[in-house]
Amino acid sequence: MAAARVELESLEKTLGLRGRNKLGPSRSDSAVPVLQTNNGPGLVGLTTIASHLVKVAKKEALLGSTAEESAIVQQWLEYRITQIDRCNSQEDTRVVLKELNCYLEDKVYLAGNSLTLADIMVYNGLHHIVAGLTHEEREKFMNVSRWFNHIQHCPGVRQHSASVIFMKNRLYPSVH
Amino acid sequence: MTKGESGGVQEDQPQSKKAAKKLQKEAEKAAKKAEKQAKLASENQAGDEEDFAKDRYGILPMIQSQEKLDRVLVHVKNLTEEKADQVVWLRSRVHTSRAKGKQCFLVLRQQQFNVQGLVAVGDHVSKQMVKFAANISKESIVDVEGIVRKVDQKIESCSQRDVELHIEKIYVISAAEPRLPLQLEDAMRPEAGDEEGRATVNQDTRLDNRIIDLRTMTSQSIFRLQAGVCQLFRETLIKKEFVEIQTPKIISAASEGGANVFTVSYFKTSAYLAQSPQLYKQMCICADFDKVFCIGPVFRAEDSNTHRHLTEFVGLDIEMAFNYHYHEVMTEIAGTLVQIFKGLRDRHQTEIQTVCKQYPCEPFKFLEPTLRLEFPEAVAMLKEAGVEMGDEEDLSTPNEKLLGRLVKEKYDTDFYILDKYPLAVRPFYTMPDPHDPKYSNSYDMFMRGEEILSGAQRIHDPQLLTDRALQLGIDIEKIKSYIDSFRFGAPPHAGGGIGLERVTMLYLGLHNIRQTSMFPRDPKRLTP
Repeated sequence: MAAARVELESLEKTLGLRGRNKLGPSRSDSAVPVLQTNNGPGLVGLTTIASHLVKVAKKEALLGSTAEESAIVQQWLEYRITQIDRCNSQEDTRVVLKELNCYLEDKVYLAGNSLTLADIMVYNGLHHIVAGLTHEEREKFMNVSRWFNHIQHCPGVRQHSASVIFMKNRLYPSVH
Repeated sequence: MTKGESGGVQEDQPQSKKAAKKLQKEAEKAAKKAEKQAKLASENQAGDEEDFAKDRYGILPMIQSQEKLDRVLVHVKNLTEEKADQVVWLRSRVHTSRAKGKQCFLVLRQQQFNVQGLVAVGDHVSKQMVKFAANISKESIVDVEGIVRKVDQKIESCSQRDVELHIEKIYVISAAEPRLPLQLEDAMRPEAGDEEGRATVNQDTRLDNRIIDLRTMTSQSIFRLQAGVCQLFRETLIKKEFVEIQTPKIISAASEGGANVFTVSYFKTSAYLAQSPQLYKQMCICADFDKVFCIGPVFRAEDSNTHRHLTEFVGLDIEMAFNYHYHEVMTEIAGTLVQIFKGLRDRHQTEIQTVCKQYPCEPFKFLEPTLRLEFPEAVAMLKEAGVEMGDEEDLSTPNEKLLGRLVKEKYDTDFYILDKYPLAVRPFYTMPDPHDPKYSNSYDMFMRGEEILSGAQRIHDPQLLTDRALQLGIDIEKIKSYIDSFRFGAPPHAGGGIGLERVTMLYLGLHNIRQTSMFPRDPKRLTP
């Protein structure tokens, strides 16, 4: 699918790999992207290719610096494609946002204390959802908003996505 | 004898076991019934004999003004500690009743006040009387005589917390049907109470049974406060030497655009219901009344089913001649509204508190002098918050609300004026801004982020008025009489119209305008 391709191209730029790879056309019936590597068979799947690109760019720290962190990164990459990308209704997105909001209450990044691939991929996946929220809703999911605002300002992450505006002051005191 | 005979005949005939059983059963049943009746009769008799208090309760014959009774009825709200140990008469509704052995607790309600009453077996009260009191249906109207007694423990569920009434006589004046279309308790429950799984009453059921819904303490308070708005509006303007006028509601031509008017048949031709007293209040200015106001019904035939639109509502309209700048008028109107807010705060605190119990909201905040923003400033604030809109675009409802929150956050006020609207979004009679023809000398006022007043300097020059109408493609013939009224010398003037229901709704922070209209009219409701 075009969207996955755009996202991977954006990730390449974030990682400093300017157009070195050729992304093959996706398989006819699904949205799964394919990457033809120089040695061996093609790589299939968004997070698989993303992890591969991180290693090519020699930025392995983005996959987690300890065993625990790597595990958490893997978990969120999976969450991205199984939960966030499968939100079909208002209710689904509410559930995801609520879950994330609880999880992020005491965290700056999704895994550990620095930016990982999980942050980048979840940010990309959530972008259209968060951009569509009203200020009242952004305030309701305050931890998601704080994290999202932080990630979109991390150098190189946002690329061509529109910047989402967050109010720094509380507008809706009655919501809480 | 006949019975015996018939029995004999039946015995002679061969009969099935089944039929015999049936007969036997029937006989048993009859016997039981007779026994029961006898018992009941004897009980009743016994009751009648024993009941020493039979004159102290009962159902009174219909009051048809047969006699002038010299009896003082005390209002429930006046039942306080000062009245302790006095014998009083009062007329009230039975809000709830709960019998418990030899006692019956009644909550007696009069408007938004209630008090606990107690009927307990004693020297003056018999068992039968307690039973009678317990059986009075909810919402019946009763006359009660009793002694006011102080209580040790405050009664939290009643408005009169310090006293209760020991009832000695109770008569039903008007009995209510035992089945009510809705329970007052349910209608008064805060919406947050959902968590308890208790019932609440939805808007339509309330409106279908409006007279019962209006009895709730919340509704009683809302409409008392609304009356207060009208009174304060009059008071303030009369002090400022405004003249109250009455204008016709049946008019020959639509005043602002023909789309949203109701047409009525008028003998051999048709007429319209006035969308606002616009034309007439301007004509009064041309007739040298200088400052006028008008309170009356206003009709809008817009098919919009929202939380804040009605097809008939009460308009509070102001029009005033000014000397050099329309801000003279704007300040006068904003000042009037501030006086209303202050008056409500000072005079109607009980009502505000009562409504707050069911519909919690933050107290209404305002500044003195009133905050005035210009339209471009507002657009800039919205753009800063990520809203995409054009400079000459009208505010959408969500943007209006967001702007309200932004203003509240920045200036801490729920009331502000938005001045200098783009000319393109205002009616043809609005005076263009002298410095920038894109804008106009018009303003809206907002409460809690929702528009309550729309106003402007009007064009008082017939030539300019004609030009503007032509520019907007309005048929000059249709508004000829309107334009003509400015031909014989017209002072510069400005004004505005406020919706009474909206002011009440937004002051109290309610979420539906139907709550502040006694018998609301909308595209889907014509009754009750």
